[in-house]
Amino acid sequence: MIDIENLRLSIDGKEILRGIDLHLQPGDVYGLLGPNGAGKSTTLFALLGLCAYASGRVVVLGGDPAQDAASIRRYVGVMPEKAGFYDWMSATAYLKWYARLYGCAQNDQGRARLLEKVGLGTEAHRRIGTFSRGMKQRLAVARALMPNPKLLILDEPTNGLDPKGRRRIHDLLVEFAAVGKAGVLLCTHLLDDVDRLCNRIGIISNGFTRFEGSLSGLMGEQERRRHYRLRLEAAPDADNLPTGVTVLGPEGGWWRVQLRDRATEAPSAIWGALWHRGWRILEIRAEALSLEQIYMRHTGQEHAYAKEVAK
Amino acid sequence: MKAHWTIAGKECVQMLRSQRGLWWLLALTSVLSAFSFLLVSNTELSLLDNAQVVYMMAGTVLAAGALLAAIMGSDAYAGENERGTLIPLLCAPVASSDLLIGKTMGLLAAWGLLLTVATPYLWAIGASGQNLWEAWFYLTLFGTPVVLGVGCLAMALSARTGSVLASLLSTTILLMLAASPLLIGPGLRGTAIGRALDAINPLAAALNTFDSVIIDSEPFSAQVTRLLLVAAWLGLCFMLSRQSAANIHFNTGKIS
Amino acid sequence: MSPLKGLLAAIFTTLLWAAVSTAAQSPVAVDLRPDGRNPVAPVMGDHLQFWSTITNTGKVPIEGMVAWISLVEIDPGNEQPVDLEDWSAHKAVTGVSLLPGQRLQTNWPMRLIKGGDYRVVISITDRRGRQVYTSPTIQFHVCQKPVLNAGRVLPVAVAVPFLILGLMAFNRAKSHRRNEKTYIGI
Repeated sequence: MIDIENLRLSIDGKEILRGIDLHLQPGDVYGLLGPNGAGKSTTLFALLGLCAYASGRVVVLGGDPAQDAASIRRYVGVMPEKAGFYDWMSATAYLKWYARLYGCAQNDQGRARLLEKVGLGTEAHRRIGTFSRGMKQRLAVARALMPNPKLLILDEPTNGLDPKGRRRIHDLLVEFAAVGKAGVLLCTHLLDDVDRLCNRIGIISNGFTRFEGSLSGLMGEQERRRHYRLRLEAAPDADNLPTGVTVLGPEGGWWRVQLRDRATEAPSAIWGALWHRGWRILEIRAEALSLEQIYMRHTGQEHAYAKEVAK
Repeated sequence: MKAHWTIAGKECVQMLRSQRGLWWLLALTSVLSAFSFLLVSNTELSLLDNAQVVYMMAGTVLAAGALLAAIMGSDAYAGENERGTLIPLLCAPVASSDLLIGKTMGLLAAWGLLLTVATPYLWAIGASGQNLWEAWFYLTLFGTPVVLGVGCLAMALSARTGSVLASLLSTTILLMLAASPLLIGPGLRGTAIGRALDAINPLAAALNTFDSVIIDSEPFSAQVTRLLLVAAWLGLCFMLSRQSAANIHFNTGKIS
Repeated sequence: MSPLKGLLAAIFTTLLWAAVSTAAQSPVAVDLRPDGRNPVAPVMGDHLQFWSTITNTGKVPIEGMVAWISLVEIDPGNEQPVDLEDWSAHKAVTGVSLLPGQRLQTNWPMRLIKGGDYRVVISITDRRGRQVYTSPTIQFHVCQKPVLNAGRVLPVAVAVPFLILGLMAFNRAKSHRRNEKTYIGI
C-alpha cells in the first residue's frame, strides 16, 4: 500500500528528510513516531504528493505521488493535525461539500450514520463555528472516513479529546482496519495509542528512519537485549567499564545498565568484571523495556542522557 | 461535479452566508452611498454634467472592485492556510489548477455581485443623462479583466508568501502605483514617461475608456487597443497565479 | 456740396480703401458661424457645433498651419479661460497646408458642461509666421440645470446598505434558530 525507500526531501534549501523508509501493507495499522521536527508531517505530505522529493522510491497505492497525486488522493482519507473547517457551514453541509471534491455520492442517511459514529449525531446541523475543539477533532475523523478510503492517514487524531472521545476514535479505527483490506497510517506522540492500535511502527528522528517493523517483533527483540537494574553501595566509576557494558544512568536509587548481545557470555561474568572495577553491587534485577523506553532509545534521547552520565 | 465548480460554489455561498463576506459588501456599498450623498448635497458637484458624474461613479465602482479583488485574492491561499482549511483542501483529490480556477470563479462572482449592487447607483445618478447603459456595458467589459487581474495577482502573492498581510500590502501598493499616474494631472501625464506609463497601465486604460465612451461618446473601435491591453494584463496575472498555485507556501514551508 | 464736406468724404473713402487693402493683404481669412441646428437656448448637457472656414488669401502657400478653438467664460466676477478637456474631443486642426486661394472648412463640436456666459473664437498660426490670426467671436449663454435628482439618488443610497444589513440579520437569525433546534434535540 505504501512503499517508501530512502526518501530524501529538502524545503527552502534545508534537508528535512535524509533517508526515510516506510512499508505499509493492507490491513496494517502503522504508527509513525518521532520527536517534534523529526519529519513526520513532511513524510505524510510527500506521500500525498504535496511536497516534491529529491530522491528515493515512493509508491502509494501502486502509483507515484509525484506524477499521480490527485488520482492517489481519491482513495486516501486524511486527517491533518490542524483540523480546519469553514465556521459558517454546518457539519452535515461541510461533509456534503467535501464529498463532492472526492466525486463520491453520499446520501443524507450515510452522512448521518457517519456523524453518529463519531459522536456528532445531534450536532449535525449546528454551525461548525460553535463546535468545541474536541468536536472539531471528531468531525475531522468523519471527514477522513467519509470517502471510504483504502488508506487512512491520521496526524494526531486524539489530540484534545477526553478519554471517552479517545476510546471512541480508537474503536472507529480498529473497526475500519478490520473491515476489508484498508490500511491506516497513524502519526502520534501518544504511545498508548500506538500500543493499543498499531501492529507496525516506524520511528523517525532527525530525518532518518531509526526503526521500522512489527510492534510484537520489536518488543520481542528488546527482550533479547539485556537490561538490568543494579543497586550499588556507592556511586560507581562510570568511566571504567568492561567491554559490552553501557551505563544508561541512575533512576530512583538504581543504576540501569545494558549488556550488548553476546550470546556466549553470561551476565554473571560481567558482574564479576564490574566488581573488580569497584562496582559494589548489592542487588541485580533484569528489566523488560517499555515502548516508551524503546522510543526514547531510538530517538537518541536515552543515549544523550547516558552520555551526560559518562562525562 | 468538477472540483473547480465545487470550490467556486463554496466561495459564492461563503460571500453571502458568512458575516465576513457581507461586512465587506456593506463597507463597499457604504462607500458608494457616501459618494452619492456627496454628489447630491454639494451644489457644485450636483451641477456637474451628468456624464461626468456617471464617469466618476464608474471609476469608483472599478476602484472598489479592485480593492475587493485584492482582499479576496490575498485571503485565497494565505487566509485558508492561517485558518487551517488549506491543508484539508490540498489533501483532497483537487489539482492545483482546479483550486485556482475555483477561486478565480469565486472572485468573478464577487465582482458580479458588486456590479449588481452598483447598478442602482449608476441608474440613480445617470438615468437623466447620456450613455448610461454604455457606461454599464464598458464598466463590465473593462472592469472585469482589470478586477480579475488584480485578484489573480493577489492570489499569486498569497500562494507564495503564505501571509495575508504580506500579500494584501503588496497588492495594495501595486494598486496605488497603478493609480498614481491618474492622480498626477494631465500635464505630467502628457510627458513621454507619463504616456508610456499610461500605455501599460490597465487601470488607466479602463478609466480612459470610460472617459472616451461616457463623456466623448466615442465608438467601440476607439477602445480596441485598450481592450487588448487589459486582456493582456489579465493573461499575465493569470499565468503568474497559475505558476504560484503550483508552488504553494504553507505550514511546513514552501512546497511544490 | 461744400468744400469741407467734399474733403471729409474723400478722406473717408481713402481710409476705407486702405482698410480694405490692408485686409486684402492679410494671408489668412477665417470666419466662424454657429450651426443652424444649435438649440436656441442651450442648457447644460446640450451639444453645440460651430463651423469655421479658413482661406489662404496670400500669394504663398501656408505650411504647418495650426487652428485651435478657445473658450472664455465671461460671467461677471468669473471671467476665465475654460479648459476644454471635458467640453470637446476636437480642440485643434494641425499640420495642414493651404495653397493660395485654398479653403479649409472645419466643424467644432462641443458639449456644454457648465452654465454661464461664454465666448468662442478660432485662432490660427503657421510654421513660418509670427502672427496669430483670429476669427470673429461668438457669444452664447448656457442655462444651468441641476443634474442629480435627489429624489432618485437618496432612496438608492439608503436602501442598498439597509438591504445588506437585513440579509446579515436574516443569516444570523437563521443560524440562531438552527442552533436552538439542535440544543433542544429537535
